Amino acid sequence: MTNENMMKGPAGTGLLLVSAVVLVASFAYAMSNLMSQGHASLNTSSTLPWGQPIATYLYFALASSGLGLIASLPLVFGFKQFYPIVKRCIFLAFIILISGMAVLAMELGHVFRMLWVIPFNMQIQSAMFWMGVFYVADLVFLLWKFRKMDDGEWDSKTSIQVGIGSFLAVLLASGNLALVFGMMSMRPFWFDGLLPIYFYLTAVASGLAALVFFTYLAHGFSQERMSAPLRALLAGSLPKLFAAVLGGTLLFIAVRAITGLYTNNPEIYYVWKDYLFASPAYQASLWLGIVLPFVIMLMASLRKQPPVQIAVSILVFGGLFAERYFFVVGGQIVPLFKGTWEWNLVQYTPSITEWSLTIMGSALLFTLYVLGEKRLNLSAMPPMGAESTSAAASGTQPAAAGS
Amino acid sequence: MAKWGMVIDLDKCTGCQACATACAMENNTLPGESWQDVLFYHEGQYPSAQMKWLPRPCMQCENPSCVHVCPTRATYKDMDAGGIVFVDWNKCIGCKYCMIACPYGVRFYADEKPLLEPDLRDVFPGSNGQLWSPPYQNSEQDWKRGIGVQPAGVVSKCTFCYHKVGKAPAGTADLDEDIPELKEYVPACVRTCAPKARFFGDLDNPGSQVNRLIGDKHGVRLKDHTGNRPQVYYLGAGADVPAFQPKPRS
Repeated sequence: MTNENMMKGPAGTGLLLVSAVVLVASFAYAMSNLMSQGHASLNTSSTLPWGQPIATYLYFALASSGLGLIASLPLVFGFKQFYPIVKRCIFLAFIILISGMAVLAMELGHVFRMLWVIPFNMQIQSAMFWMGVFYVADLVFLLWKFRKMDDGEWDSKTSIQVGIGSFLAVLLASGNLALVFGMMSMRPFWFDGLLPIYFYLTAVASGLAALVFFTYLAHGFSQERMSAPLRALLAGSLPKLFAAVLGGTLLFIAVRAITGLYTNNPEIYYVWKDYLFASPAYQASLWLGIVLPFVIMLMASLRKQPPVQIAVSILVFGGLFAERYFFVVGGQIVPLFKGTWEWNLVQYTPSITEWSLTIMGSALLFTLYVLGEKRLNLSAMPPMGAESTSAAASGTQPAAAGS
Repeated sequence: MAKWGMVIDLDKCTGCQACATACAMENNTLPGESWQDVLFYHEGQYPSAQMKWLPRPCMQCENPSCVHVCPTRATYKDMDAGGIVFVDWNKCIGCKYCMIACPYGVRFYADEKPLLEPDLRDVFPGSNGQLWSPPYQNSEQDWKRGIGVQPAGVVSKCTFCYHKVGKAPAGTADLDEDIPELKEYVPACVRTCAPKARFFGDLDNPGSQVNRLIGDKHGVRLKDHTGNRPQVYYLGAGADVPAFQPKPRS
């Protein structure tokens, strides 16, 4: 159904132009500020060293991981009803990760030095070292897997092995990314051995949001332009999975909030009480970006409707971006080791340069996405009857890896 | 090789901040880049409120979490240099993970908004790769150990004045500014301390004055529960920082 892809036509060209202009403008603005003022153009400081650029990277990296995990449903676990989205999933995972890495690169003090000091010094004790290793492995596997599909190899032995390798890489990458924060006992708001589970859940939620949005965008926000298996998926398993991971996300937020508000530890308690729940932006992102989409997706009649799915994906985009932002900043907002010398939580709002980095990453994502839709056949799926896929979507056909 | 340690006697410390000033002058740090700081805080309420202060250098931990997290080994603990934790500015990529991991908040990324105006980086623009180039600089520069004026985009921290300490005669038990032949090797904050609240010596030497003080006066290490095991010990009452408490809403 690639001839139904809106991105291949003038609409795609228009979006490509707008995205490219925004990308160039935001990059130029951020770069000029960073070159002229250095990191003084950011509102981060020695008391709060990680700000919105890190949150943006985290958001993109986890959305990519979520897409990688969704892609493993048909490729590793044999849920064939997900075949219609798997190629787009893998492509999106790749470009979202590239976009996140671009934002991170702009935030680092010496990005090019990183290319040689990390491999030559092999600091295997550092979770950040492994973050680099696993995300590079993730990128390589995503590319490899995409290449296999592009060559029409969906069920070959190598293809399955690459799929399993990719699944393991994405689990390690996002789980380890959680531990970059979760192993920091000196930052009690983050310190949590179960953080990888929370990251897996929210990664899949943000991945689904990206997948639903970009799938609809490719088809002009109309299900009529979609193939029958894709329509079946959007009416069947996918919204149910979306509801389930949103529910899991809410559960995690709830238990973290309850323990946070119960504890006497000021580095957790005050983060929840005086920062997160005191912030209208956090409240809005929680209720409108996670709770409301969850409630909507619980309703069988609503969750199948295209406008509802599109709206939910946009709300979850915003909700989970805010979740990442407040997570990253929340871990640093209580002044560290200052006692009563500091009366207030550390004040931080992102600077215009930091916003321009977030916009740059998003514009890069859109630019690469349209290019991909134009140049590649992202709707491709293995040759199988639409009827059998519909049957699989309804859960009546057992499916196994490689079968 | 010695294991250099510092002892700070809070019963003697007057909170005069001469240590902080001497450190800034010795190491050419920017305002806010407080390798050696004095925290001021209060506890209790009128009429029995207490005004307290706590001098705070880098703790040069025995088990430093900043070293564990650094993805490039830019931050390292040099056992051949008395166990001092250094930052190799040629390897630091400015990821700031060490600043996240340090429980004591004693690492600095000077490439940030200035604490005070005018911005000294504009007044004395950097040259030869330096973030800023003040007219009077310590001639000692060793970027592999984070000594001197740092370049942009790296993390900086207290080095226990290794450019002085590292030249002390081998086998020295204590670096005491009152011993004329040793005073040039004494860290700036110790040497300048008017009430003589600071002591510097070899923690591996059972006969050193620092070890005697720690033993006799019940020396403690801050935030010992983190397991970082600082090489800086505190003596006297109030060797702690109270927990954060927001300003009461009136």
